[in-house]
Formats: sequence, C-alpha cells, structure tokens
Amino acid sequence: MGSPLLLAAAGEVGGDFFRERSSGTLPCQANEAHLFCWDWARENLDRYGTPTVQHLEIVLISVLVGFAIAFALALIAHRTRWLQPPLLTATGVLYTIPSIAFFFLLLPVTGFGRDTAIIVLSAYTLQIIYRNTMLGLNNVPDSAKDAARGMGFTERQVLWKVELPLAVPEIIAGLRVATASTIAIATLVVLISAGGLGTEMYGSNFNFPTAIIIAAAIIGLMVLAFDLLFLTAQRLMTPWRKARPT
Amino acid sequence: MPSGETDAQSRSGASSVRYEEATKQYPGTAEPAVDRLTLEVPAGEICVLVGPSGCGKTTAMRMVNRTVEISSGDVLIGERSVRDREPAQLRREIGYVIQQVGLFPHRTITENIGAVPQLLGWKKDRIRERSAELLELIGLDPELGDRYPAQLSGGQQQRVGVARALAADPLVMLMDEPFGAIDPINRERLQNEFLRLQAEIRKTVLFVTHDIDEAIKLGDRVAVLREGGRVEQYATPAELLMAPATEFVEDFVGADRALKRLALMRVGDINLWEAPLAHVGQATAEVRAKLAAPDVEVPYPLLVDGERRPLGWLSERDLSADVVPSRPDSPLGPVLERDDVMRDALADLLQGQSQYAPVVDREGRIAGVLSVEIISEFLASPEAKSEEQPAAERPHG
Repeated sequence: MGSPLLLAAAGEVGGDFFRERSSGTLPCQANEAHLFCWDWARENLDRYGTPTVQHLEIVLISVLVGFAIAFALALIAHRTRWLQPPLLTATGVLYTIPSIAFFFLLLPVTGFGRDTAIIVLSAYTLQIIYRNTMLGLNNVPDSAKDAARGMGFTERQVLWKVELPLAVPEIIAGLRVATASTIAIATLVVLISAGGLGTEMYGSNFNFPTAIIIAAAIIGLMVLAFDLLFLTAQRLMTPWRKARPT
Repeated sequence: MPSGETDAQSRSGASSVRYEEATKQYPGTAEPAVDRLTLEVPAGEICVLVGPSGCGKTTAMRMVNRTVEISSGDVLIGERSVRDREPAQLRREIGYVIQQVGLFPHRTITENIGAVPQLLGWKKDRIRERSAELLELIGLDPELGDRYPAQLSGGQQQRVGVARALAADPLVMLMDEPFGAIDPINRERLQNEFLRLQAEIRKTVLFVTHDIDEAIKLGDRVAVLREGGRVEQYATPAELLMAPATEFVEDFVGADRALKRLALMRVGDINLWEAPLAHVGQATAEVRAKLAAPDVEVPYPLLVDGERRPLGWLSERDLSADVVPSRPDSPLGPVLERDDVMRDALADLLQGQSQYAPVVDREGRIAGVLSVEIISEFLASPEAKSEEQPAAERPHG
C-alpha cells in the first residue's frame, strides 16, 4: 500500500490527497510499541462517518450499474449464442486493466470525482456477474425447459419463470464476489478525489497504523454485512435448495 | 364439418388425432425423418408408436404439439389442423410427458402440477384444488404437494409428471418414453397404474417407446415404425403378435416374443437330451463304447450313484483308468430341476459357464440334460413362434 510509486503518482494527481490531519497531535506516537491507539480511536471515530457513507454509495451504485449492464448482456447472449465468447472476452479485458491505470485513462474524459469512480468500479463487476449469470442459465436442466415449452410456456415465460429462478444461486454468487471486490477496490477512488474510506487510509501517516486499521476494519465489516445480506436473500429466494430428499 | 367435430370429441375431453401425409424434413438431410405418415388414433385410445431408435417415432409424436414443425402434410386434432394454431396455445391443450420428467426443481409439487392451469389464468384456489385432486388420482399422499421434486423418488416424480400433463384436462396426451428411466419393478407398477388411470380418464394417448413389451402391454393399437416414420403395421397387440404383417415386424416382435415365452416355460416342458451314464466301479471300456455310439447326444459321460443321482462329469483322464473312479475329475456344475423356470435355467447355465447341466426329478434322479443349444434350437423353431397367447395376458382392451 505504501509503495513510493503509488504515492508519487497520487501526490501529483490528488489535490487533497496528503492533506494534513486536522487532529494534529497523535497521542500514542511517542510510544511506537503501540500498534493500535485506543485513545485516538475513541476521539476520532466520528471522522469515519462521511467516508463510510461515501464508500457505501459508490459501491452500491457501481454494483447496481454493473449488474444492470451485465445482466442485460447475459440475456442478450442467452438468446444470441454466438455473442457469448466475444462478450466474455470483452468483459474479461476490462477486468484485466489495472485499476490505477483505468482511473487515469478516464481522467481526461470524465474528470475527477465520483462518476469516474463508478464507471471504473462497475466495469470491474461486469465480468464476474456476466459469467455467473451465463453459468446459471446454462445449468438449467434441458428437461425442465423441454417440458416447459411442451406445456405451452412462451419463450419469455421459459426465461422468467423457469430459467432465471433456477439461475438465482449462481447470479447471487456472482453478486457476492463482485460486491466484495468492489468494496476493496473502492478504497482507491480517493486517488481521483472521489472520497470513500481510502481517504482515511492513504491520507494517513504510515507510522501511525491505527487510522488504517480502523478503515480496514470498517471495510471488513462491510464485506461481511453484504455477504450476509446476499446469503439471506438467496435463502429466501431459493427455498427449494435446502429441501432435502426424504 | 360441425358434425365431424362433435363426433371426434364424443368422449369427454378427448379428441382423435389424424396424421395426413405428415412429413418432417430437417434441413441438410437427404431423407425425411418422417415421410408422409398417415395414421389415425381414435379418441380415447392409447396408440403406441414403437420402433428402433432413429425410426422417427419421437419426431412423429412431437408434430402433434408442434415442438417439431411439420414440413408438409398435416396433423389434425379433432377436425382442426395443428398448423392453424398458435403453438403455445395449442400445447396448453395437450398433455406432455417426457422420459426425464422435467419437473421444475424450484416449484413445489402442487405448483408443478398447476403449471398449465396457471398459464391459462386459473384462480389460485382452483389450481390448488385441482392439484390435490390429481395427487389423489395418481395415488400420491396429498401432503407431498408442498414438497419439492428433489424430495421425491424417481417413480413418484414420474407420477407427478403424468399428473402435471393431465392438469388442464387436455384433449390429447403425448408421452415420450415416460417410464424408460425407471427401474424394471417400478416401471411395471407405473405401467399398471397408468392403465388403471386411463380406464378412468379415457384420454387419447400417443405413447412412444422402443420396448415392444411395453407397447404390447399398454397399446390399444400399436404402430410399428421403421426409418422415415414408415408404418410397417398398425394393429392391435394381438394381431401384431399373431400375424406380423412384414418381416420387419416379425423380427421386431419375434425374438422378444420367444424370449418372453422362456419365462412362462419349465425345464420339463422341453425335450431334454440324454447323457451316457456311468457308475462307480464300472469298466471304462463299457462307458467308452456308449460314447462311441452314433446317436450320442451329450459327448461326456455323467457319473451317477446307485439311485441314478448325478455325481459329476467324467473327463478323458477319468476314462483312461480301467474302472470308473468314485471321484470324477470335473465338478458337476449347476443341477437343474424339471420345475425350474426355463429363463432361470438358462441363466444358471450361462453363469456356471457350463455347456450341459443335468436335470433331476423331485427325488434327485437324473431326468435328462439341458444345454444352451437345446434352448437356442427351441427359440429358432416354429413352435416357439406360434404358441403365443397374447390376448389373455393383456390387462385391458
């Protein structure tokens, strides 16, 4: 995290990146054996409020946008099978662009701030959500589709009443991974002045790990909370999966 | 033809099905999968389409609900061409059962059965009522209605598949090898239940199978098809067995018919062979003389005790001594009884890898020798082909 290259690059770009901490004095700094300074944490916890909300907003919007695009792509590719490989490649290529490069590539076009962050983060979710949705749709047993068509389901009814409900576990699995990685990558959007918990991590004095640990803990909790949310949603949406043979 | 329509639907909720030169030609193939098929299935009857794989039986069946599009010719349900119908609408009037069942894993049994009624916009209460009614009809506990398909056995799932096909009271049922993936014991049970059900509901059923036994058991009429969906014979099962119209039908029906007969026969029903018998202490020269006789049927001497109970087969080495030894070289192998079922006897012979097996009477005394050769000669004889009693075996019709 503290690579000189990253800091140098960030220093040139981010205007408020190395802003001085308002709380000036660091009570535990004298004693370097302290990895975590409880006194400072108690006094400064409120400063994480705004970055946490920013972080959440960016993640939610990015995942939603990514899901909307990836899901639509998957439905199109499901109808038009020859589109599947090129779409997989295209979303894969987006996924391989290093995030910092991606931010800086977009800066001349979309400038500093949240829009650029959301574009990059949602682009990263496309691959995993698209791939998992396709996987889910392809896993639907042919016999169920054959029976549905033979009973008089229209193609649209086959999709919405048979294929998509059965693909829910895979789709949600994709969303879980996409959300967790988006939460992590969103710590970098501070580089383009989009805020988030990265502000409290990269803006810190690296000899003072307490600030970073708190930000990391919030991120960890956020990942856990979303995971729990998705698991609960999946349980509720797929009651047939826990039904065991008797 | 308004009068024709009412006539075709005279039985409650069943329509006749008529193929008129119906043809299916897939693009890029030289021969049509089904070539000008003409066939009429009267309302309320089970018509079995039977034939080897690739004969076009499934294609022919699927023309009825247009899951296979007809290239030329026509299929009429009642007096109405299926080609004039919107496919999804048409299919909701036709029950559809497939080998893999195809229940929806994410829906309960009740919801599965209610699938077509739901498409037709029935009210929830009515769907629930109908599902319960059908569960009872197919002999499943109504409590199973809230379970998911994965919680049911294969046989139960297939019963639900049939119930689902019946839900909206279809005019016609299409059944594509519905019992093909079920183990033999349960298959027989399901077949019997289906016949009992059909006696009650009297649907027009098109039933596809490659199993001639199933065809004979279930069909009111059986259409034997060969490549290109050509009808070799369309007849009642009894006619089919007694008077096969062509060599193809005879081949298709014949071999099975004779084998089936083995299950009804006892070992004592057949002319057994005689083996040269030998006793302990007898001079081997005498035994060798018997073996050398021109009309000897079994080329090995059988050692028996004083009560003519078999002890074992004598080998070349046993015979090289002066007198017959008390312990023969070769083991006896399987010993059959006259009352054994022929099919089991054949299994014993094959399993024991023996060419010959002594057959004994109730007292254990030798009555003759059975060989695989005798059985295969019997199967090839005209006697085996003519002595069928097909009609008597059929549970209905």
